[in-house]
Amino acid sequence: MGNKQTIFTDEQFEAYQDCTFFTRKEILQLHGRFHELAPHLVPLDYTNQPDIRLPLALIVSMPELKENPFRNRIVEVFSEDGQGNLSFNDFVDMFSALCETAPRELKTIYAFKIYDFNVDNFLCKEDLEKTLNRLTKGELTPEEVNLVCSKAMEEADLDGDSKLSFSDFENMISKAPDFLSTFHLRI
Amino acid sequence: MSFDDKKHIRGQVLALKSFKKSRHLNCFADCSKTVSLAFRRCGANMTLAKQTLELWRGTMKEVGGKFGTGVLSYFKFLKWLLMFNIFSFLVNFGFITIPQLIYHPTPDIPAGVSFKGLEILTGAGYFSHTVMYYGGYSNKTQGTGGRSEYNMQLAYFFTVAAYMVLCGAALIYSMASSFRKKYVLADSGLGGAWQLLCSWDFSVTNEKAVRQRKNNLRIQLKESLSEKVQVALLPLTERLKHYGVFLGTWLLSTGMALGCGASVYFLFSGSLLEEAATLLLPFVVSLINLVVPLFYSLFKKIEHYSNPRMQVYAIIVRNVILKMSILGILCYYWMKDVANTFSCWESIVGQALYRLVIMDFLFIMLGSFFGEFLSNVIGTKCIQSLGVPEFDVARNVLDLIYAQTLAWIGIYFSPLLPVIQIIKFFILFYLKKVSLTQNCQPPRRAGRAAQMQTIFIAILFFPSFVGALSMVAYTVWTLPPSDKCGPFRGLNTTFSAIQIWMDDLNRVDAFQWTVWIYQHVIRSEIFYFLVSLIILVFIYIFRQITQGRQLLIILLRQQIVNVSSSELSGPTCLVHQSCCVRSGCVYVMMLLKCRSNIFS
Repeated sequence: MGNKQTIFTDEQFEAYQDCTFFTRKEILQLHGRFHELAPHLVPLDYTNQPDIRLPLALIVSMPELKENPFRNRIVEVFSEDGQGNLSFNDFVDMFSALCETAPRELKTIYAFKIYDFNVDNFLCKEDLEKTLNRLTKGELTPEEVNLVCSKAMEEADLDGDSKLSFSDFENMISKAPDFLSTFHLRI
Repeated sequence: MSFDDKKHIRGQVLALKSFKKSRHLNCFADCSKTVSLAFRRCGANMTLAKQTLELWRGTMKEVGGKFGTGVLSYFKFLKWLLMFNIFSFLVNFGFITIPQLIYHPTPDIPAGVSFKGLEILTGAGYFSHTVMYYGGYSNKTQGTGGRSEYNMQLAYFFTVAAYMVLCGAALIYSMASSFRKKYVLADSGLGGAWQLLCSWDFSVTNEKAVRQRKNNLRIQLKESLSEKVQVALLPLTERLKHYGVFLGTWLLSTGMALGCGASVYFLFSGSLLEEAATLLLPFVVSLINLVVPLFYSLFKKIEHYSNPRMQVYAIIVRNVILKMSILGILCYYWMKDVANTFSCWESIVGQALYRLVIMDFLFIMLGSFFGEFLSNVIGTKCIQSLGVPEFDVARNVLDLIYAQTLAWIGIYFSPLLPVIQIIKFFILFYLKKVSLTQNCQPPRRAGRAAQMQTIFIAILFFPSFVGALSMVAYTVWTLPPSDKCGPFRGLNTTFSAIQIWMDDLNRVDAFQWTVWIYQHVIRSEIFYFLVSLIILVFIYIFRQITQGRQLLIILLRQQIVNVSSSELSGPTCLVHQSCCVRSGCVYVMMLLKCRSNIFS
């Protein structure tokens, strides 16, 4: 690499490498993708750390997220205001948590937040029902939805309070070794 | 924790470190933190270097987007094996072939032998006198006397040995890390909660594929809702019948495998050396490898395994037994009969392996045509009920493992065989990708791809690599090399080259320590006996610790349930209880830490 690029300073690169699971080349690729979402808004020079946030609608138009049933929730979880407006740092954070080398504990935490639609730190029955509707696009009858969610709740709820706390969720994830590879967005 | 929080904390840590550095306090903790940070940065730089030769990234993303992680694992495995072969090629070419080519640029081919086209298939003829095979290498110490000497014997031996050792280390490391990441404590079935929360594949990005997956999930959920509770224990007669069927099918499959091996042996004992006839053996071997697994999959219809996963394991084990028994018979024949009969026998074995590799490639292409293309045509046009075929990951991965075993056996006999393997894998990648996108549909059931990955790496290590290594080791240790060709001609065994080198070193005072290590460590049996004993003791101790921890986890889990259901209070009482249990508190503390991280 002989060309001197002026998108980020070296210090910024070191910060990104230490705080995420990406290398320099991947950070530059991510910046390229962020820029092409809104070429007029996103500057090419990030050395003075401009505070540009892209709205939810633009982010979920990315090909990696476009068909994902949970795209809105994913972007909301990683945004600071909870409404889905991502700055570049949040954008990098999102792909870093969902990349191949992120550890299982980190992915479990974010998966829990994504499935928690009403943001009350528990997966209650409504959260499960909303998840199921996203996954089957509303083609199950309401009784079937109810049955499936009750069965899932019974199986996973260890402490019997009819909602899944984080430790119940984590316990279930620990029995699913595929989770590490399926909970993964490829950039 | 958002990115800005992380950066803030990192800034604080670095500021604290530079403050401490200026006050020279607590040097050891700082040193360890600096070292770990340096390691992490070094690791990031190495990943960056690896990414500069990023191969097929776009293709793999496309395949993963359309077919999901299970099918993508086949392509990742193929890429991983390709890396082994590229490394092997670089090492062999650099240390063995290039010196040979520098000192003997033109191979001494006897008169009357010229290049005909058939050599590409048979590997004999013109090729048998070139650097492609063992016989093309000289045994002299190259170069002028004095400093710039290059000992071909030692170079050949150490290159092959170093490559095998590095391969073994890489395999053991991958197997261990894969096992650690994907080990499950208790095997739960594919229940409703799993289907709902863990089974969705986030890397699928193609619209049609996503719709198909949602459809499949809906069908599976409906199926699991309407399932009646299965009878726990079948009556005795039914169970005996099942066991009888299992015994019958296993005896039949093992018998077929051994029968194929024996027929290959008797076929081999026939004529050998006419050029076109030499293609008969690899043809028969590849035909057996293609056809007999189809018989094995017919057994699926009469066997009734309680767990569908056991069925996949049974198929895998049968295929592995078949392929390894054929390879075993071939190796036995090469070691016993060919080594005593022919003058330049290593090159003959190298040529046989070359033919096996080429024929295997042709048959994989044929298999792809018949398996996938024709099934697609039949499924869509003729018998509509069959539907579009699915990509059979297990069978294809086993084919890859077989191909790699051939390459590993051939390292000693044909140093440039990795070139053929590299070309083969390259073409295979594109072939399979095209066949996949044109002919197959994504898998209907989200299965246990991660555990299958671990099993495949384990199969790659245990019968495949260890078998190849033991064959090469037996050749090096025991068999006399041929006297008329190759780098080890004239010696009793290949390993005597090391002995001679050690005797030479003995005369130089500066290297006495090397000679001492050789005589008292490498050649002494007591050393290996003691090392094995110590390892066995450690394994026993660690196994006891692991079992104790498993018991502890079960008890703690029960405690969590008891405590929460009895008191319904917050985390405080859990903390109190866990303090009493020392080594298990790591588990509970981790739960609490994560909980408090989310809440803060």
